[in-house]
Amino acid sequence: MEMKKKNGMQALIYVLLILGMVIVILPMLYMVSTSLKPNGALYEYPPQFFPKLHEITLENYKYILSQRKFLGNFLNSIAVSVCTVAISAAVSSALAFCIARFRFPGRRALFAFIILTMIIPGTTMIVPQYELAVKLKTINSIWGLIPFYVAWVIPYSTFMIKGFVEGVPSELDEATYMDGGNVFTVYVHVIIPLTKPGIASISIFNFLTAWEEFPWANTVINDDLKRTLPIAISGFFGQHQFTQWGYVFALSVLSLIPILIVFISCQKFFVQGLTAGSVKG
Amino acid sequence: MKLKGKSKAQIGLLLLPGLLIFCIFTVYPIIRLFWMSFFKWDFGSFLSQKFIGLENYRSVVTDPYFQTSFVNTIVYTLITVPAQMILGLLVAILINSVKKFKIGFRVAYYLPVITSWVIASLVFKYVFNTEGLLNYFLTNVIHVTGSNIRWLDSRWGGMTVAMLLGIWKGIGWNMVVFLAALQAVPQELYESAALDGAGSWQKFRYVTLPGIKGTVLFALVMLTIGGFNVYTSTKLITDGKPGHDTEVVLTWMYYKAFSTGKFGYSAALSFIIAFILGILAILEFRLMQNKEQQ
Repeated sequence: MEMKKKNGMQALIYVLLILGMVIVILPMLYMVSTSLKPNGALYEYPPQFFPKLHEITLENYKYILSQRKFLGNFLNSIAVSVCTVAISAAVSSALAFCIARFRFPGRRALFAFIILTMIIPGTTMIVPQYELAVKLKTINSIWGLIPFYVAWVIPYSTFMIKGFVEGVPSELDEATYMDGGNVFTVYVHVIIPLTKPGIASISIFNFLTAWEEFPWANTVINDDLKRTLPIAISGFFGQHQFTQWGYVFALSVLSLIPILIVFISCQKFFVQGLTAGSVKG
Repeated sequence: MKLKGKSKAQIGLLLLPGLLIFCIFTVYPIIRLFWMSFFKWDFGSFLSQKFIGLENYRSVVTDPYFQTSFVNTIVYTLITVPAQMILGLLVAILINSVKKFKIGFRVAYYLPVITSWVIASLVFKYVFNTEGLLNYFLTNVIHVTGSNIRWLDSRWGGMTVAMLLGIWKGIGWNMVVFLAALQAVPQELYESAALDGAGSWQKFRYVTLPGIKGTVLFALVMLTIGGFNVYTSTKLITDGKPGHDTEVVLTWMYYKAFSTGKFGYSAALSFIIAFILGILAILEFRLMQNKEQQ
């Protein structure tokens, strides 16, 4: 009797979970299915959730892949995201290590400022940052995006990595100093190897941030060839009288692939990165 | 540990790159923002600014368009934050109580989080179009509406689409965060509650909720910031239309800066938003701490 009730409960939970899951992934499926339909009709009426079998076509993908500029946009996004991840991992872990381990002057003020900037939405700074980019002549430059993205992710990365550094016993530092090591050797041989999972998990989020960033890149990049993917995707609007949804969604699906690869291959790190700050808090 | 001269230099060298980037590209713009907000500062006249005291702040606060965008942002935050948290927690509890396919469910519910705002916004714009899939379903399949709803042509229609998108995209993040918190609640507490004859609701109320309070606070602060940070979705779904009825504070700030060139006005607006968020974050922490003491 008890057993039966339990099984019934489990079945109900599965039904609820599957129902919710269907609702959640429905928009994504619709995007994929639209990208596989012929691009002729602006809005098909009545709309079909699935394309008719004989209608399924890769013409939208063929068009996107045949355009040189989209390949360029893709490479731009890769370059900007990879550089952002690498630089921010290096500088944030160094900041986190110093803040966690040494009492240097201005340490508290620095940490307070880091917390403060986590509260302020990045987009609110767009006006003075735009002025700064004009002065530094980085308007319309792909490489000009990187320092802004790095600065953007430094606070959260430093905050999270600091938590991981504090989890490393300081006796390990001491032992290295005893053996004649200095600050750099401790950073390179103790802190980095032992906080690697933390740095990896933060890096996944930094990759996503740079990969999908829209407001800033949309403000400073105006050359077709210098666009990153989100700007290229949104650029389908306003360009023509009608939006070619087939192209929009084909490019969208293609731009999701690297993110899916990163997330699925780093599954085990990303939960850690998300929750390190929350459970303790 | 004690710092010797040599170590000091090494620490300085380690700090330098991060500090430089952070100070030039974040700290300096914040200070500059504050400075700009007291000047009549128009696009194209970087050289001729006039100090006007609090005039920009006055024109922001008395601007009816700002007031509309502010109300929209507050409504967006008040609706999407609790909705995401409740649904995310519900999904987390359900996933936590099943034995198989945990990872599969987790990945599926997380998909919207890793879908970029640009892509998600365009999908929602397409689905909610007047001739789109959702209207067809509502009108012609299940017949709950007599004619197609013009979602994107009214203030609350457009805001509803943006809010549904915000909730849809946020459930996965809450699910993962709450799942970790649930797994950290000691199993013995549930067992002893069961011995005391507690039912499911009582277990949730007296064991689960207190156990995940820290996470609830964390999520509340992060999501409130996220709510005020909404930009890309409303920009791409409605672009503030009709009129400027569906602007949120950041799209309105952006419009004033880059379409009308009023940099001083936008700086004051940004500062007001940053200030409000700072106060809200402090209040939310206080509120939770008080509850803890009771």
